[in-house]
Amino acid sequence: MIAGKLASSILDRGVGPLFLAPSVLLLVVLLLGPFVYMVVISFTDLSYALPDRDGNFLGFDNYRRLVRDDPVFWESFRTTMIFVFGVVSTEFLLGFALALLLFHHIQRRRVILTLLLIPMMIAPVAVGLMWKLMLHGEFGMLTYYLRALGLLDPQTALLGNHQLVLWTVMLVDVWEWTPFVTLVILAGLLSLPREPFEAAVMDGARPWQIFRDMTLPLLRPIIALVMLLRGIDAFKEFDKVFILTGGGPGNTTELLSIYTWRVNFRNWDLGYGATNAFMVYLVVLIFCAVFYKAVYWSRST
Amino acid sequence: MSVAFRNIRKVFADGTVALDDFNLAFDKGEFVVLLGPSGSGKTTACRILAGLEQASAGHIEVDGRDISDLPPRARRMSMVFQNYALYGHKSVRDNIAYPLRVRGTPRAEISHRVEEVARLLHIEGLLRRRPRQLSGGEAQRVAVARALVWQPDICLMDEPLSNLDAILRLQTRTELKRLHGELGTTFVFVTHDQEEAMTLGTRIAVLNHGRLVQFDTPKETYHRPATRFVAEFIGRPAMNTLDGNVEAGAFRAEIFALPLPRRPDGPAVLGIRPEHIGLYTTAGPDTLPFRLDVLEVVEPDMLLFVTSGNISLVVRAKAEAAELAPGAEVHLAFPAERLHFFDPENGARLP
Amino acid sequence: MAALALIVVVLVITLTPYLWLVMTSFKTRLDALADVPIWLFTPTLEHYPKVFLDKDYLPLVLNSLIVAGSVTALSLLIGVPGAYVFARHDFPGKEDLFFFFLTTRMAPPISVVVPMFLLFSYVGLIDSRIALILAHSTFNLSLVVWMMRGFFEDIPREIDEAAQMDGHTRAGTFFWVLLPVAAPGIAATAVLCFILSWNEFLYALILASFESRTLTVGIPGLVTPHGTLWGQVAAVAVVATLPIIAFTFLVQHHLVRGLTFGAIKG
Repeated sequence: MIAGKLASSILDRGVGPLFLAPSVLLLVVLLLGPFVYMVVISFTDLSYALPDRDGNFLGFDNYRRLVRDDPVFWESFRTTMIFVFGVVSTEFLLGFALALLLFHHIQRRRVILTLLLIPMMIAPVAVGLMWKLMLHGEFGMLTYYLRALGLLDPQTALLGNHQLVLWTVMLVDVWEWTPFVTLVILAGLLSLPREPFEAAVMDGARPWQIFRDMTLPLLRPIIALVMLLRGIDAFKEFDKVFILTGGGPGNTTELLSIYTWRVNFRNWDLGYGATNAFMVYLVVLIFCAVFYKAVYWSRST
Repeated sequence: MSVAFRNIRKVFADGTVALDDFNLAFDKGEFVVLLGPSGSGKTTACRILAGLEQASAGHIEVDGRDISDLPPRARRMSMVFQNYALYGHKSVRDNIAYPLRVRGTPRAEISHRVEEVARLLHIEGLLRRRPRQLSGGEAQRVAVARALVWQPDICLMDEPLSNLDAILRLQTRTELKRLHGELGTTFVFVTHDQEEAMTLGTRIAVLNHGRLVQFDTPKETYHRPATRFVAEFIGRPAMNTLDGNVEAGAFRAEIFALPLPRRPDGPAVLGIRPEHIGLYTTAGPDTLPFRLDVLEVVEPDMLLFVTSGNISLVVRAKAEAAELAPGAEVHLAFPAERLHFFDPENGARLP
Repeated sequence: MAALALIVVVLVITLTPYLWLVMTSFKTRLDALADVPIWLFTPTLEHYPKVFLDKDYLPLVLNSLIVAGSVTALSLLIGVPGAYVFARHDFPGKEDLFFFFLTTRMAPPISVVVPMFLLFSYVGLIDSRIALILAHSTFNLSLVVWMMRGFFEDIPREIDEAAQMDGHTRAGTFFWVLLPVAAPGIAATAVLCFILSWNEFLYALILASFESRTLTVGIPGLVTPHGTLWGQVAAVAVVATLPIIAFTFLVQHHLVRGLTFGAIKG
């Protein structure tokens, strides 16, 4: 009977910890644990390629090497920056425009929206594959038409061209994720109350004034959220670039995640690879922090 | 300046006919009330006038000119919404200033006008606040201030008092009447509350099922309702109506046999307002006996709910007129000059 | 109208690449590699059995199913009760803890997988489905928690109170009353979990690279420097993507909520 009372007490007041503990535990073990371990290894010379490097402590050597002696890392950093800022701004502009178009001019949104979602629901690896197919140098469908229109000369293939490949990869990302931006902003537009907009019309505001004075300010939190999400995900980009170009030709599309993968799982330079991994964490963290600052700063003005 | 709805017809996408051959014309400076039950089309008419909706047929005229194709901002009309529709992300001052700002008014003048209209509506102290910090009454006054600050020709109001509590509603009603007197702006006021209509309007347009039923001064509407519907809608409590027949010079309905020398024979609906029925405690030459069912004393008046057979009536009398208890017998007189007659088929007033 | 024309253009751009992939999976090698793109062709089914049976890719489908299914089950099992606590209980540090759940989404997979690879190697779990299931739950758990928190918060508290008046403990309320009411939300969350796990590539590539590899990992395996069997790899990609597209139609109502940290209802 006492056991029964105890049980029902746990099922009542103990529910909080009882229900939360498993998930917190799992995440701590699976994320925090590896994180700590990663930091630890980043100070060693661990390597699976060279037998004598079994984890000797190196102090800050790896970090010094990354900052001073690894131009490839910094090249990768630069490439990633171009990628992130390029795709996020493009997806924002196109996605917003598309959302406005759907909001103001299209009635049967549901069907169209569902079709538009397909690019982002397909496994990114498959996205990479289908664009690799279309952009193939010899029989790629897009390659053929670009050449036919005179936009590409017969010897060049987009994915093999050092100048154009990064932009091409960014274009694929835009294709894949613009619908996401559209979806979120459209949801935001639909959630806005109608009456203040009618009031603005009665107050004499023209459409562009209504957009500037009402739509944009009211959508600001949603815009901030969607750009933050896209930014974080763009930094993490791996799958489709891996299959589209593998980082090449040369290092032209070697994003941070791909470079880190190469160091760890091609060169098996795991100690230094952990340092890399830590730096990637740092980059994402700094991006988020800067982004938050920017959003809050503009909030208060 | 004159405003006219000409043959307005509005059918919504789902087939509902909101307005059917709606015609109404009025002049500058009036306080026109669009009165009717829900679904009567009064809000639709207001929105068509504003330009927020397009009529399916017919047009709107201002000073003889067809303005049906003009967008709202070109019509020199402002609107106060039922839910105030304030800009939540702007301060009260910026809310009021907005119509001036979009018209490119110089900053100094905006400031001056905003303060002036704020004083007019007693909201000077609220200018720095945000809409979510305002009470219902305050928000409503901000909405009115915004609608008046740029001195429109016509101020449209769509049930602006419906969301206020009873006391606030009465206070604001008086405020609006005062504003109308001071500013002389034309007001078009939509409501379902007949008391609001009677106190505020210079003229009342009664709507029912998308049609205009009567357009008259409050006094005329009260004393000479054009249809049975108007008669029953105006006045609280509503007019008593009785279906019956005029035969051999008298109105007959159950115990009723009211001599009416000049009425033609045939079915008719008799109407008489509760306050016009004569109340007596003893029988008289023209009275009919009724039994008192329920007595409501609302000082200085009282309402008597009486029945006789299948006929129920409401009588309003002064509370001191008699000491009565439920079940008592009362005697009612129906003065001929206070009687209204309506056609039982179409409800139209009979002469 | 101009708007409609624009939408049609957008839809064409959106759908053609996928269409081309699907077509390729049904084209003969000759048609697929033609110099001039062929839009009308005689379809062939040869690639599907060749890659799934002859090349033994069927186990990959099984792996994907098992992993995605298990991840979903695990994440729901652990995450839904947790979401309930966030929705209905108050305690100091609640929002900070919730924020911690959110930040787990920020973790770059490449950074997580490096130490994870080593750790799983040490315990002999490399190239196992379990390793992958655990890895996937790191991001799916947060998804479940923040999505379901929103769904639970949508349920009026009066329902909890009525259940307690009827004699339930809080756990009982959760299990017998709230879960059934939140069932549509749970279904939507489950579908989204499944999709994210099924589509995942990087963790699968590193942690389940051979015996336990999933469909997504099977794709680069067919793309070699010596030459790619496009018909076959397209067939794999189609099998990897078609079920997901079907699921998308089921869950599109709740997508916005799931993809935006539950901030927007959509």
